[in-house]
Amino acid sequence: MEIVLGGLLEILQPQTLLLICVGTVVGVLVGALPGLSSSMAVALLLPFTIYLEPIPAIAMLAALYCAGTFGGSITAILINAPGAPPAAATAFDGYPLAKNGQAGRALGMAAAASVVGGIFSLFVLILAAPFLATVAYRFGPPEYFALTIFGLSMLASISGKSAVKNLIGGAFGVLLATVGVDLTTGVERFTFGVPELYEGISFIPVLIGLFAMAELLDQAGQKDRPLERFSMSALKLPTLDDFRRVWKTILRSSGIGTFVGILPAEGSTVAAMIGYNEAKRWSKNKDNFGKGEIEGVAGPEAANNAATGGAMVPTLALGIPGSATAAVILGGLQIHGLRPGPYLFENQPNLLYAIFFAMLLANLVFLGLGLVGARYFSRISLIPRQFLWPAVFCLCVVGAYGVGQSLNDVYIMLIAGFVGYFLNRAGFSPAPIIMGLVLGHMVENSLAQSMILFDQDAWRFLTRPIAVFFFILAALSIVSTPLGTFIRTRRREEADRLAHGNE
Amino acid sequence: MTILRMAALAASTLVLTAGLAVANDYPSQPIEVVTHASAGGGTDTTARTLLIRARRELKVDAFVQIKKGGGGTVAMSYAAGKPADGHTLMAITPTHLITMARGRAPISIDDIKGVVRSTDDPIIVVVNKKSGIGSLDDLKSISEKAPIKWGGTQAGGIDHIAAITFSKKSGIKLAYVPFDGGGAMITNLMGGNIQAAGLNYGEAVDGIESGDFVPLAVMADKRLAALPDTPTLAELGIDGVNFSTVRGIIVMADTPDERVAVLEEKLLKAMSHGTYQAYLSGIGLDASSVGDAQEWDAQIRSMYANIYDTLEELGLRK
Repeated sequence: MEIVLGGLLEILQPQTLLLICVGTVVGVLVGALPGLSSSMAVALLLPFTIYLEPIPAIAMLAALYCAGTFGGSITAILINAPGAPPAAATAFDGYPLAKNGQAGRALGMAAAASVVGGIFSLFVLILAAPFLATVAYRFGPPEYFALTIFGLSMLASISGKSAVKNLIGGAFGVLLATVGVDLTTGVERFTFGVPELYEGISFIPVLIGLFAMAELLDQAGQKDRPLERFSMSALKLPTLDDFRRVWKTILRSSGIGTFVGILPAEGSTVAAMIGYNEAKRWSKNKDNFGKGEIEGVAGPEAANNAATGGAMVPTLALGIPGSATAAVILGGLQIHGLRPGPYLFENQPNLLYAIFFAMLLANLVFLGLGLVGARYFSRISLIPRQFLWPAVFCLCVVGAYGVGQSLNDVYIMLIAGFVGYFLNRAGFSPAPIIMGLVLGHMVENSLAQSMILFDQDAWRFLTRPIAVFFFILAALSIVSTPLGTFIRTRRREEADRLAHGNE
Repeated sequence: MTILRMAALAASTLVLTAGLAVANDYPSQPIEVVTHASAGGGTDTTARTLLIRARRELKVDAFVQIKKGGGGTVAMSYAAGKPADGHTLMAITPTHLITMARGRAPISIDDIKGVVRSTDDPIIVVVNKKSGIGSLDDLKSISEKAPIKWGGTQAGGIDHIAAITFSKKSGIKLAYVPFDGGGAMITNLMGGNIQAAGLNYGEAVDGIESGDFVPLAVMADKRLAALPDTPTLAELGIDGVNFSTVRGIIVMADTPDERVAVLEEKLLKAMSHGTYQAYLSGIGLDASSVGDAQEWDAQIRSMYANIYDTLEELGLRK
């Protein structure tokens, strides 16, 4: 307990507090702009932190990391361009909400859910970080394979459109993920001799293309439709009733996010996807998902922010980064001559708890920023579309370019935009494609790794209890929807029969 | 303390002015360091940390230019397209050498010239203590029954080449399990999914100190200062397996020699500063990581030869 308070005292210095606030504001802005990721911002700030003491320096970077994950949801909701990959799932329902004139409600919910998710995971960490760290060791390739299969099991029902089309979209996403040099064989696939494709198709340009660019093309097609009058309801924040409806979703997603975040190399994007899946699975309004369901915003947002806290556990406790940004923060510790790992827990517990408190503070700062800002940000959705969308186009191009500073990514974004536009018209949703792309790498690599570990004997998956557990969950998830429909029809038939019997 | 520092600064300014006179007002423009990896990775962080002091030494601005893609191909084309006047440097790793050896690079090994080495991180053969393996002989006898599960990064990358070369020269049978990065390798070694891995000191040190990992041998000519009791492979009778995760600065071969000399001197000086040294110790290395032009240039060429041969045998050369 003394150590925890010691950490708190380290943070309560005027300079440190100021740096945390700066980190948070920069994080929200960077997160909101597509193409500027929080990992990039942290990397660029690293050299400047050399002149600071380690604790304020790392506190600022950690605050930036937290806030960046939240920031991504702002553009995801308002213009369908997720500012950061973890916000991809937020766009599924956030953007439809904004389109229905409820931008403020979606933004407010994103802020609140993010903060609850973030704080939840930090409390779990403060209480149990050293213990949780060992969870990471229990996850080898077979367990990852089972976990991703579970993630993919919701593919058919991820969007409200037809299950077959969702599966086709998912398979397309997995196919895109195979482009580049294969991790396990070193063989090039689908690169057509283009060196730029050697390291695969990066995820962010595809994301921006499928969401924002495709939507832009769609909007351009409605040029001659009269502009509807916007109601000022767009500025309304979520009501207490909304919160009453989603608190379960938020708590569930916070748990999921913390857990997925702790697994090394998993990260917030996958957490958000699973958070969205589970929000949908347990919701009473399943059919409303993808059309503007407030639970569909709360689910992924709580999960991706809980994952940022989770990701710091293996980073600090084991020296194994839990996400890309956490890896950069790890670099920051190293620049200050600190070696993350079990020794950090023993020798510098103050630093550890100071980082947790910095992230906690960052959460509170962006809650304020998010709720107050929601009123102002949501005005963006009041901008007439002939002015808004050309500006969005600039953001798309800059966003796609910014990631790898390569024009090829811009071409990929444009192609993805056209593909996305036609797929939308043909009744496909971008959600399963994105999910296939995110999980495709992992499902393939973890299977290949597992087979090498098992000497090519697939039956040995059954010797791994955690893997079996996730396989069972996946199986239940696949059969639950048809089974539910079956039971419901049976009941209805039963009721019909009884009704007839009475006649 | 302050007086000392000022004196040092004054001295360095003097040296700098002298250097400038020799090299014809070089450097006269901002210096660009081309890297191939994403912001925040090891190469990026090393380059940025190096530049903090290099800016002062060179008296011009210096920045990192990221050109990702193609296993360094994009970075190499970019650097090769710039005038060879010493204002464009490139940070290279074994990845670039592999891309060259696979015949996919726009430039060849003869087109580059080493300036300084910034990190040198030999690969250490590490096993999990719980596996009961205590020596290379144990490793060999266990591999007779089933191949040792050996963790590394990308197939066809430096770890893979090191593992294959090691297996070939020692007769130990390996099943190479590629992972996304060092973190995944360590967790899997810790969790017992793999029995052995080729790790850098910085990656292995926590496990070694906590007693969970046993270092069997170092793939280098000399023992590591930090692991004085761990023999080199050569001491154990396995010659010619020298692999390390090295990073260093190169320029195009046409760059005038006197400019390379200026760069070498200033960069070495920048790396001797406490800022860079603290970074080195943070990643588990020491001052011996830094190498001058002669040493680094020779190392690039011998590593290239090793990589070339192994890729030829793996059938990964075009």
